[in-house]
Amino acid sequence: MAVTPGTETPRPPYLGRSVRIVGPVANVDMNQTPHPRNSRGELGKALFNWYRNTISRDPLTRVSAPNHFADQRNFLASVVNQAPKGKINSRQVAVPDPAVMTRHIKAVARHMGADVVTVARAHPSFLYAATAPPKDSAARDVYQNSSGDVFQGRTPEQMAQRYPYIIVATTAWDYDKLQAHRHYIGDAAYHVSQMKAQMILKALEGYIKELGYAALRGVSNPQAAGLASGVGELGRNGLLIHRKFGARIHMPDPIMTDLPLVSDQPVDNGVEDFCKVCRKCAINCPTNSVPFGDKVVFNGVEKYKINWLTCYKVRPYMDAHWGSCLTCATVCPFTKPNVWWRSLTVWALSTCPIPARPVLVRALKAIDDRFWGATRQTRVRWLGYDSGIKPGEQACTVAGCTAPHGTAHAANPVGNVGYYAPLKENTNRFVKRDA
Amino acid sequence: MALRSGWLKNPWRRAEQRSHDPYWDFFINTAPADRANSLLDVLRKAPEGNVFPTKADLHTPEVTARHVTEMARYLGADLVGITKLDADEAGHPSAIVCAVRAHHDPSQAPGIGGQVPVQNGLFVTFVLSAWIRELGYRASMAASLDAARLAVAAKLGTLDRTGKLVTAEYGTRVHVADVIRTDLPLAAA
Repeated sequence: MAVTPGTETPRPPYLGRSVRIVGPVANVDMNQTPHPRNSRGELGKALFNWYRNTISRDPLTRVSAPNHFADQRNFLASVVNQAPKGKINSRQVAVPDPAVMTRHIKAVARHMGADVVTVARAHPSFLYAATAPPKDSAARDVYQNSSGDVFQGRTPEQMAQRYPYIIVATTAWDYDKLQAHRHYIGDAAYHVSQMKAQMILKALEGYIKELGYAALRGVSNPQAAGLASGVGELGRNGLLIHRKFGARIHMPDPIMTDLPLVSDQPVDNGVEDFCKVCRKCAINCPTNSVPFGDKVVFNGVEKYKINWLTCYKVRPYMDAHWGSCLTCATVCPFTKPNVWWRSLTVWALSTCPIPARPVLVRALKAIDDRFWGATRQTRVRWLGYDSGIKPGEQACTVAGCTAPHGTAHAANPVGNVGYYAPLKENTNRFVKRDA
Repeated sequence: MALRSGWLKNPWRRAEQRSHDPYWDFFINTAPADRANSLLDVLRKAPEGNVFPTKADLHTPEVTARHVTEMARYLGADLVGITKLDADEAGHPSAIVCAVRAHHDPSQAPGIGGQVPVQNGLFVTFVLSAWIRELGYRASMAASLDAARLAVAAKLGTLDRTGKLVTAEYGTRVHVADVIRTDLPLAAA
């Protein structure tokens, strides 16, 4: 049977042990993802107002979070992402050996400051559905979907054939600040590195165009490309878990390109075996949005499926304390400083024969609970912020500060306990767990 | 990398060395054919945002100076200094000078790679000045000709005879980012 080139459906991609494609996958429509739906008001008034009409009371959040700024001109990511697109250089650089070019592109991204760079082989199911981009400035800042990079009438199959590689470059969050999850300090770790990642990707996109090749943004699902290229495995908390950084990595919009490259393979970090045993993220989630049960099949993909709606819905009520929760990423046993003992542990886990892994995982989980605690309650101080001050109270704990602060201040807290709103005991009684 | 001598590097990682990368020179030294492919103009020409109408509850000038330094380092500056300005036309009393490490002198290397220190410096100064404006104080970043002189005044290093900044940490392999002039109460370091 004659098949028109570019219309045959390729075999489902291998995404590692943590995610399995078991049925037909419909391309994800960007307009049906949480932020665009919220910006259209489909998720209720509280979320809509929080998303569109709230100015954060934290100065650093106002310059680093995708919405909640007082003045958009003070937000770097919107300046970077709404910049005009450059032209593709007409003098194309020849690439006789794709392996050399792959090494070069990875070195370039690292030179610009990326912590993780991988290359995925494009697959039609990784692409977003070819619909009009959301007409929403905030979503545009995050996803870059306002670009002129359109499908130009091509099907996802034709796109994946014409632009066969997806470059995933990203940054990791600061470990020490992340310990203050559900706090402005954790927000700083998250949002600042997110801005940095967006700047790096934009610069890398420009460089690929200077090499004389196409660089498309806003077309590919970052998590799928990340799985296929071995950034990590998908954990119970719905986040990619990296070998070195655990769950503390961003998954910003990757670059789809026709630059000849060599693609990376999915990795086995032992996340699949760990998530079967460990339920730290599910136990700690303040809204019980992380499943305790098994994987489910959603859109033809077998994976752990979080309840994004309940995860999202708590945010308007916590606006005075934090912008991004980050608890499931913080408590994940894989989220540790990038030092030799964690490399050794992950190496031991990933080289262990799979049948023997449950035993090792239980031992590691016990060690993690013993030394890092079942919940994270570390007190973090950074600049004038201090997570030892209870939510709603005010105090100045900066050493050597003699300034007469205008507002009424509580007594300085002692001890090493951090307080993160909402406290888990306040939310548990409202939600019935499913397992 | 502390080790700089080529003959001491791991021989089995030769392929990853930059001297073995045929495209590295293009990355560092070839100016972009379309300036829109570089982020520098976009960040430089971006209009300045508003100053937040409510001033933040600040600590003492010494503590604020420490916090500004810490923030600049978190954003990626390698050297940060604060100096007082005598006669500033806009009336800003202090200047914050940030410097980033530069493997290639950006004035000699016009490629996208050669300009990476400038890009990193702009990231620091853009976010830092925006943060100060959100604290409720004026702050503006501008490329100025006397950046190196102000860097010396901010105790980042000394000038050599060509007028380039020499620092104890990185020698001349350093790029002074745009100077931020501000009326945030800061004690000179």
